[in-house]
Amino acid sequence: MKPDVDQVMQGFFGTLLMDVAPHLNAEYSMGNVGIMGMMMFMTAEEHDRAAEIRVAENTEMRALFGEAARVVEDAGLKARLGEAAGSRDASLRIKALDRANAALGGLLVELQTHAEASKAPWAGALEARIWDYLVAATERRKLPFPSLG
Amino acid sequence: MTMDDLAPRIAAYLARKMPQASQIEVSGVSRIHGGASRETFRLSASWSESGKSKTRPLILRRDPVASLIETERDIEYNAYRAFHPTGLPVPEPLYLETDLKWLDRPFFIMEQIEGCSAASPFNAEPYGPLAETLGRQFWTHLGRIAAADPKAIGFDANMGDIAPADCWKHELDKWEKVIDEDELAPQPVARAAIRWLRRNPPPPPPKISVVHGDYRTGNFLFNPEGHIRAILDWEMCHLGDALEDVAWAADPLWAFQRPDRPGGMIGRAEAFAIWETESGLKVAPERLRWWAVFNSLKGLAIWISAGKEYQTGANRDPVLAFSSWYCTDVHNRVLAKRLAELSRETRQ
Repeated sequence: MKPDVDQVMQGFFGTLLMDVAPHLNAEYSMGNVGIMGMMMFMTAEEHDRAAEIRVAENTEMRALFGEAARVVEDAGLKARLGEAAGSRDASLRIKALDRANAALGGLLVELQTHAEASKAPWAGALEARIWDYLVAATERRKLPFPSLG
Repeated sequence: MTMDDLAPRIAAYLARKMPQASQIEVSGVSRIHGGASRETFRLSASWSESGKSKTRPLILRRDPVASLIETERDIEYNAYRAFHPTGLPVPEPLYLETDLKWLDRPFFIMEQIEGCSAASPFNAEPYGPLAETLGRQFWTHLGRIAAADPKAIGFDANMGDIAPADCWKHELDKWEKVIDEDELAPQPVARAAIRWLRRNPPPPPPKISVVHGDYRTGNFLFNPEGHIRAILDWEMCHLGDALEDVAWAADPLWAFQRPDRPGGMIGRAEAFAIWETESGLKVAPERLRWWAVFNSLKGLAIWISAGKEYQTGANRDPVLAFSSWYCTDVHNRVLAKRLAELSRETRQ
């Protein structure tokens, strides 16, 4: 069998810190190896979860836009929200998911700005709904940090 | 340019700056991590002067091709020049050079503080048993920076005047521009922070103070006996509201797993009390709240900028990639939670 990517990344992290760094003389190089090792540790997790995180975010933003499209009065924004709510991820490649995520994120900025400025009855609930999404999304993206102590 | 190439060129420069010296040699040139906005080198210079052999360990800070954040090296150099005579622990600045003929890029040279280390802000216990003694000095020195008269010590050279009421807007405009220019994808949390900061400007500070701009764990050197020997990394220093530094030093990013103990040292209440005593100023809650949100946004701007430098290949220093991944992640999380709370308060 082939070792899993996360196993390889975590193995390389250990090799860099335990086998490579101690044999380096230059302080700057040692620092760089340490940083690269930490990022390999993070990559082990990120590789496994990257698609799931992006699909979840994109799905949740589309659902949020669908709800918002029902209450927002601005015709142009309503149309863009409806269109985004109906879009789908055609590819699970990370770059494709990131492109969709960026497009949806841009619309989220527009929607949140609109909600903050609105005195309509629905605005407070929509704002809270957007913050619930952002708090959950940023928590979901939390990167693991190696314990070196 | 290799380290071997650098040594004779630095020696030639020192020979020009030190006409009284002869047989100048530069050895032990080694790059170190020391502030990601400049390339930092440790070196040793030796020479003969009046029949005596002399040696001095030095630090050279050279402008990079691209960096974590663009800063003017003369602002940083002048901060060292202003504070060194005051007794604040900073290295003695020696030479500032903008002529590219010496090392291809502008640079400055300063004293090297030996026998000291800097802690990583990404360590759960960055100072171990020295945390309390270092913490008291850390906040004492920050209070002294806030108490300093910028004009009297010459800190304000080449800096424009700023009115107390304009401090917040000046800084927010500057960092929003960085995000505008460097974001590679929309940043909903950062944009929400900018809107909140503009809707809720802070009261003006009682006076214009020196702001270090990056005063935190990792940016000072201490010796094994627990004495802070050098406050470093003044790249982002400016004139403004002293609470900007207080909020940055207390930012959750630098506290790692202990947000109740800023920078992994002493508790917030004791820290702020020391700062108030030394600075003669008050930690006004409304202003601190604004600067705390601002500083997490400023952090995001720096990490976003770092990510662009790495992504575009302008600078492949691994610390830029790390900052972009890890620090963006932390500050997005910190800001999202804080802004969600503030949004609820506003709507109630």
